[in-house]
Amino acid sequence: MKFKPKKLGLLVGLALAATGSAAADETTGLTDDSIKIGVMGPFSGNASSYSKAEIGLMAFYQMINDEGGINGRKIVAVQEDTGCDPAKALAAAKKLIHQDEVFMLHGNSCSGAAVAIKPEIVDAGLPWIVAHAVSDTISVPPVENIFHGVPTGNTNGEAMAAFVLSKPDTKKVAIVEHSNDWAHSYSNPARAYLKGHGIEPVAELVMERGQTDATAQVLKLRQANPDFIIGALYEAETAIFLRDMKKYGLDTPVMGTAGTDLENTLKRVGDLDTVKNYFVLHPYVDNLDGPLMKKWADMIHKYYPDEELTNFSYISIGSGVALVEALKAAGPDLTRSKVMAELDKIENLDTGILSSTITWSPEEHRGAKSSAVAGFVDGQPTVLKAWNTPY
Amino acid sequence: MFLQLTLSGVSQGAIYALIALSLTVVYRSTTIVSFGHGDFVMAGAFLTYVLVVAIGIAFLPASLIAIVAMFLLGVAFSRGLIGPIRGGPHVGLALMSISFGFTLRGIARTVWGREVLPMPRVFDIDPIFIGSVVITGDALFIISIVAVLLVVFFTVLHFTDIGKMVQAVYQSERGARLIGIDVERFHNFSWGLGAALGAVAGVLIAPISLLHPDLGASFLIKGFAAMTLGGFGSLAGAVLGGLLLGVAEQYSGAYIDTTLIDITAYLLIIAVLLIRPRGLFGRKVVVKV
Repeated sequence: MKFKPKKLGLLVGLALAATGSAAADETTGLTDDSIKIGVMGPFSGNASSYSKAEIGLMAFYQMINDEGGINGRKIVAVQEDTGCDPAKALAAAKKLIHQDEVFMLHGNSCSGAAVAIKPEIVDAGLPWIVAHAVSDTISVPPVENIFHGVPTGNTNGEAMAAFVLSKPDTKKVAIVEHSNDWAHSYSNPARAYLKGHGIEPVAELVMERGQTDATAQVLKLRQANPDFIIGALYEAETAIFLRDMKKYGLDTPVMGTAGTDLENTLKRVGDLDTVKNYFVLHPYVDNLDGPLMKKWADMIHKYYPDEELTNFSYISIGSGVALVEALKAAGPDLTRSKVMAELDKIENLDTGILSSTITWSPEEHRGAKSSAVAGFVDGQPTVLKAWNTPY
Repeated sequence: MFLQLTLSGVSQGAIYALIALSLTVVYRSTTIVSFGHGDFVMAGAFLTYVLVVAIGIAFLPASLIAIVAMFLLGVAFSRGLIGPIRGGPHVGLALMSISFGFTLRGIARTVWGREVLPMPRVFDIDPIFIGSVVITGDALFIISIVAVLLVVFFTVLHFTDIGKMVQAVYQSERGARLIGIDVERFHNFSWGLGAALGAVAGVLIAPISLLHPDLGASFLIKGFAAMTLGGFGSLAGAVLGGLLLGVAEQYSGAYIDTTLIDITAYLLIIAVLLIRPRGLFGRKVVVKV
């Protein structure tokens, strides 16, 4: 068989291109002085309040850049809007990977959107740190390039139930939730935890998104007379539910998700009496206005002066701290494989912001395995480890 | 529990009734089903919010300003966007109302997209206890306002010359033109009135709910369900339909399952269309050939 010079040249060219492409995959998105990171979040739409998480993350990047960057490189964030919509998120992921050619991805609020883009990112093989979405299906079973940097639904649900049972003599627990995957990602692990402790809910009620009245739910709860209520409700519905509880004289403690926070719930319901028995998952080391959180609040306001801070504003920063550790450890000859290998070595990292440390290993990519709780103690928001036990 | 659920249902239903009435006012005079009407409700609520929270006007005058502003917006919408295509196909008119509604929603999203906004409490009086029944300030205020508004509305409609003119147009536009009524102006007025009634609903929703740009969507469905139940085109039917829907939601949630609360409106629409398509008070359509 004879090869003509032209054909041989073409084959050699293709082989070189293939080799070059493989090399480009490992260092795509890198220059001598920059690391391009794709940040996806719901920057528009009715879930856009969650994108405060990505704003906080990008402020953190800017702080790292102002401090000199990492091994001579500065982070260049490329922002894409998912609208909390799976189809839009997939388009955003494809754009970041193939058109913008980012080195890695970081961010992502909204579990539905994150789950939808997972196959695309698994195929592309670039590192992805999930910094807000909580669904366990994103990082279970573990995939080489996907790391979860916040407490997942399973961790959160168990933390909620554990707090509920830490109140002495809690025997009767009721659950009020939305009928969507987000609510189930909290309530199902909580149910399993309760069941493991011999407790079946005395009432399981639904309050759908957009409802402006919770009379039926509250009256049913009044009949069931629970010791504690687990509420997997979004911000608006939480406020309405608490208002109606007060209206009908039901003062049972309520354990809420990380989707709400004390300060903004208080602002929405308008009086402390209504929220005095409300507790929320609180993934941070301090109250939002506490001294340990101040430096993070100042950091966000330095780069986004008009940003109104909520519970979501800080949630992605902890995974940013972990990423910077891994990038530093990977050294100046950075590749995607090196970063993933370094992320896998992170163990008990105290991020200075999350109440849980972060530990990743090849066998477990859910990094944050616990969560604190916040509640009003003597009228002040207080971070708690258990009932009446400050953090 | 039964009395408490009924009271709460009537309070919610009063808001649905207003929305259904505002939809019916537009439908009766223009035969357009205003799919963008939920966003008029949302706009009324947000306008009140801006006036109360951002500008610092007291709730009552702020509400009146918002209602008047929404009336003018409804008139402007009719003159500027519906007027030029009035003779065209119905689907175009419906699409225009949807598009305008989404434009209003888009504006709200642009300004407040990332926030869920609380309106300061305005009916914050101590609840009244009658046995085990709790009567709250919210319920008292909403039911009273809607009752007064409905009495005024139906009094004007049935006992004044203006009302008789309105009924004349409802019966026959051609006949109304023949006796000198300016039907185009009447259409504009109807859009304005519909928007204003929607705004009243928004004003009542604002303090008991939280504001977000998609607020109107769920209320629009409730309005349609109430309209269907009461009978398309029936003003009194729309009001009764709204009240029945509000109560039905509470009963189904408390006595059957809370998952039913959100789908009661859809179930009612299906049931009414299958069992009694003209609703409780709708007239049987007779086509002369």
